[in-house]
Amino acid sequence: MTLRAAAAARRLASCTRQQSVVLGSQAEAAHLLAPGMAAGSPRAAAAFLHSHATSFGYKQVREEEKSKLVGNVFSSVASSYDVMNDLMSAGLHRLWKDRLVSKLSPFPGMKHLDVAGGTGDVAFRVLDSIKSVSRRAVGGAISDIEEDTHIYVCDINPNMLNVGKKRASERGYNEEKCLSWIQGDAEALSFEDGSMDGYTIAFGIRNVTHIEKALAEAYRVLKRGGRFLCLELSHVDVPLFKQIYDVYSFSVIPAVGELVAGDRQSYQYLVESIRRFPNQENFAQMIQEAGFERVEYENLVGGVVAIHSGLKL
Amino acid sequence: MAASIAARRLLSRATAARRVLPLASVAALAPRRFSAGASVPPQTPTPTLPPPPLEPTPEPLGSEGAGAGASSSSSSFTGTGASGAHRSSPGAAAGARRQAGAGYQEEQEKVLRASLLHVPRMGWSESAMVAGARDVGVSPAIVGAFPRKEAALVEFFMDDCLQQLIDRIDAGEGEQLKTLILSERLSKLVRMRLEMQAPYISKWPQALSIQSQPANVSTSLKQRAVLVDEIWHAAGDAGSDIDWYVKRTVLGGIYSTSEVYMLTDNSPEFRDTWTFVNRRIKDALDLQKTFQEAAYLAEAMGAGVGGTVQGVLNRVFQNRSP
Repeated sequence: MTLRAAAAARRLASCTRQQSVVLGSQAEAAHLLAPGMAAGSPRAAAAFLHSHATSFGYKQVREEEKSKLVGNVFSSVASSYDVMNDLMSAGLHRLWKDRLVSKLSPFPGMKHLDVAGGTGDVAFRVLDSIKSVSRRAVGGAISDIEEDTHIYVCDINPNMLNVGKKRASERGYNEEKCLSWIQGDAEALSFEDGSMDGYTIAFGIRNVTHIEKALAEAYRVLKRGGRFLCLELSHVDVPLFKQIYDVYSFSVIPAVGELVAGDRQSYQYLVESIRRFPNQENFAQMIQEAGFERVEYENLVGGVVAIHSGLKL
Repeated sequence: MAASIAARRLLSRATAARRVLPLASVAALAPRRFSAGASVPPQTPTPTLPPPPLEPTPEPLGSEGAGAGASSSSSSFTGTGASGAHRSSPGAAAGARRQAGAGYQEEQEKVLRASLLHVPRMGWSESAMVAGARDVGVSPAIVGAFPRKEAALVEFFMDDCLQQLIDRIDAGEGEQLKTLILSERLSKLVRMRLEMQAPYISKWPQALSIQSQPANVSTSLKQRAVLVDEIWHAAGDAGSDIDWYVKRTVLGGIYSTSEVYMLTDNSPEFRDTWTFVNRRIKDALDLQKTFQEAAYLAEAMGAGVGGTVQGVLNRVFQNRSP
């Protein structure tokens, strides 16, 4: 069994253990099987595993297909992305992103990489934070360093990047030489080893095919002392709140998606992908296995979202 | 490095036979680099300090809230991190974790020490810490991982000054102190400690305001309590009477007022501050003597009056007996 398949199997097993996931029906997975192979047979399961299966919501798909399917989802929702975020989180996503950036503590001269941040939400906040630090600085003590500041926004989806660029011009960030928009994959970043001070990924790692690869890449591009921060929708453990949240997730969000964005399926995927994502402890374990130290997480709104952080030393 | 510090701490504990500060809050502290405290007050068993945690858990968020409508809880993750088929033994995993924790502590100490050089120009600020991180060749992003940012810098400075004071006493200044009278000994020790703040005096009000923030008050008080106890111990106080608390409270007050006086002192080399310290300590010791004399007088008067009353009663009862 290849390492990748083993990792996928382990992830599936951990999801089953958490009882926070409903596995896709055999019918959904059947199209992946070779002809003449019964869906329930052990041979079928082995073949399925060797095909490097991964999850797309509750469906099982080939790894090669997942990035294409995720790409389609985000191409579909790009135009209404902001409106839907506000509706789904009642505007709280803004506070969550503020908290992420305050935990990052940006500084003038920082080289920062925001992955899966096509809309620029996090990047703009980092930039504003650096500017406010510069204004507070004693007698221009750090103005010489300010020129070294550079924020890279990396996203695999060109439509999302276009939304970000458009917003940048609307908000007057177009003049900023320190802001770069790069189309790239979180699993194969085009940056040099040890080139970044900070790495953030907000609501993006859930959509990555191989989380371990993305974490390894994050570790690779960070400098010694660099920090990894991940803001992601996570698992609620508060009993009554969990039930309310489940009803809201599976009934309200897809309906709102259909109403506002005219796309129920994409938002159904969103909800399912949250349930498939490892819980806070398991994800923290994965971050530590990638080599990070001082791995911590902070739950916001009872675990609806969590901010995980790690330090490269 | 961490190992050598631990060895030195053990050695200094063994040789100096220093005991633990009795305040419950201070006893709860994990041992720092310096010897934590000196003498023990009456009827106070010496508490055993727990070993320092392998990986410090994050401190409360303090003033940094999670924002309106975003209730939060934070947790530190300390999994073993063993992956693949060959899982390391629990002992090995713990060892690796201890090493990782030590690595972070070492980097933090390096950054904070380098940051102190930038404090006179940039103040007790994140900017100074960022500059310090650059000096030691680590990404300044590491500063964001320090639990309470500027407070961490001030606390490091306080700890470091205390360690320097102890080192100077152990290195021979302690012998010179023995030739002085108690008030001079205390004055010299307070002066030695305050002189360490002289290079940062223009920015010290900022440090005081950081220390007085609700999230930092308890640590600040603990550090001052340990400092005052070390000064009394170095001055030769081995008392185990009720005065133990009074002495430390009085000296703590003198130290704090001298610190504030120093901020407004424009005399060359802080001469006025040292005069102020000498006077306050003399006054305090004179007052203590006055209190003692008053106590003796009251005792004597009590004994005298008691004797007189007893004599009268004896006579009365003797006369009434058949």
